[in-house]
Amino acid sequence: MPNIVACFKWVIDEAYIRKGPSGTLDFSAVDYKISDYDRNAIEEAARLKGFHGGSVTVLTAGAPAASKGVKDALSRGADQAFFAGDPTFNQLESSQTAAILGEIIRSRIPYDLIICGEGSSDQYAQQVGPRLAENLGIPCISYVQKLTIGADGRIIAERRVEDGVEVVEAPLPVVVTVLPEINTPRIPGVKDTLMASKKPVVTIKKEELPPVGAARLQTLGMTATRMERNCEKFAAMPEGIARFVEALQKRGVIN
Amino acid sequence: MPGVWIFAEKKDLAQELLTIGRELASPIGVKVTAIVPDQGDQGDIYIAGGADEVVLLSPLAEDMSLDAWLPVIAAEAKKADPDLILLAATARGKDFAARLAARLETGLCSNCIALHREENGTIVMERLAYGGAAVQQVTCPTRPVIATIPPRTFAPAPADHGRLGEIRKLPPPPPSPVRVIARKTKERSSQDITEAKAVICVGRGMEKQEDINIARQLADLVGGEVGCTRPISEELHWLPDDLCIGLSGVQVKPDLYIGLGVSGQIQHVTGIRGARVICAVNKDENAPIFQAADLGIVGDLYDVTPKLVEELQKATGR
Repeated sequence: MPNIVACFKWVIDEAYIRKGPSGTLDFSAVDYKISDYDRNAIEEAARLKGFHGGSVTVLTAGAPAASKGVKDALSRGADQAFFAGDPTFNQLESSQTAAILGEIIRSRIPYDLIICGEGSSDQYAQQVGPRLAENLGIPCISYVQKLTIGADGRIIAERRVEDGVEVVEAPLPVVVTVLPEINTPRIPGVKDTLMASKKPVVTIKKEELPPVGAARLQTLGMTATRMERNCEKFAAMPEGIARFVEALQKRGVIN
Repeated sequence: MPGVWIFAEKKDLAQELLTIGRELASPIGVKVTAIVPDQGDQGDIYIAGGADEVVLLSPLAEDMSLDAWLPVIAAEAKKADPDLILLAATARGKDFAARLAARLETGLCSNCIALHREENGTIVMERLAYGGAAVQQVTCPTRPVIATIPPRTFAPAPADHGRLGEIRKLPPPPPSPVRVIARKTKERSSQDITEAKAVICVGRGMEKQEDINIARQLADLVGGEVGCTRPISEELHWLPDDLCIGLSGVQVKPDLYIGLGVSGQIQHVTGIRGARVICAVNKDENAPIFQAADLGIVGDLYDVTPKLVEELQKATGR
């Protein structure tokens, strides 16, 4: 019965980011969420447990406030959580995240299968899964849209690539990164949320981990993308639609 | 030895990377090395495209995937110590790049959309973050600097058949623990929306799959193609995923884009930024798509589209 680890990131919900003056990003009204595709990772872990038994451990590294995400993750079918929380873990770079997750998994969590989302909603660097596999010295199968564990304990995965689908198999343990189409994440109910607060959470302090190295990639700046256009609105009445078509003609996009 | 490496699994992607590779290598007089699969073309085309050295990867066995090359390329990179490695941001390429960066203990700029060398020699790279709401500028203090570059970010390198260069071959790598047991080639949609002059995009406001015909009718009228937002292809499977427009789908740059029932999530808007004129039909006047649009009609797409079709027929005489 497989021990499955699902990794997730607690991120700013990008829908709440506003544009501040002179191209700055205004984070003052943001809310947080489990990164979109990481919800698919947790769901897939829970789904596989439903078939094969075993256990599901959710794992994250982040700021102390990410404990809210830990509870959310536990309400999605996981048995237990490991949480490395520290104020300095707020803006980790992919290589740092992969190093912390790798260290915790190696030293504290028995694993057969590790599932990550293909990329995070905030940075979308798509590196943590493959880097984690390298840190643990195990294979990585990324961009997976269908996952099966065979009777012989081998994993069969359909990866989506540019020219179609590549079906691969590998011996466990392995890291898999999943695409959103692999499943539809559940929406936790009240009962799930209540049960989640009774599940074990192992909190790991920064001091219990080897020192985290410097970010391999350094961010020089972050500016808001300019994409506003001056939307001219037309009424859904015959006259409005006629004027809309006129506007298209004037701009030379229909002929 | 300093130099710029480019690595791509397909010929056209390698030619695009040669454009930027050459641009970064020439001013400081370093070599460009192209690492590409051996497709029986002897590698001359990459030399014509700007490579000084071509490393041809021997064809892989049927059950091997690109990742089998990882140990070999990592060893080559440790030996040659290039300054910069550029890879095409395909699914296999991005996975390969992240693992290569881990093995070489260096940084990787994923989905890099622009890069240049500062006067002090630092490579500054740009990428999108927060679903496309922000542009992130990064540098990598360790060597080599690695970046993955999305297809069509740069034009293919022009061919100069007078150029000279060296070509060598790498023998097939040992098998990787990941075995390919089947390959299914995707049925390509007949249309290529990345090149379309007009794109009619179907959003979540569309209630039934057969209603896509409404969009199709409009597309035919303006000489365009039909695309969709992520939920339409990935949750509902009403259209194939190569028609999904957005940050993680395809990026389009038509003269005319019309979104029908598209709410305008940032990830989708990022995929249409290159459109000349953006139009939206949505019954929610507060839908974010209206902020990204030039022209908008606030109304139910089921009511508006037929009227729009009629009016366009009148205007264009069709």
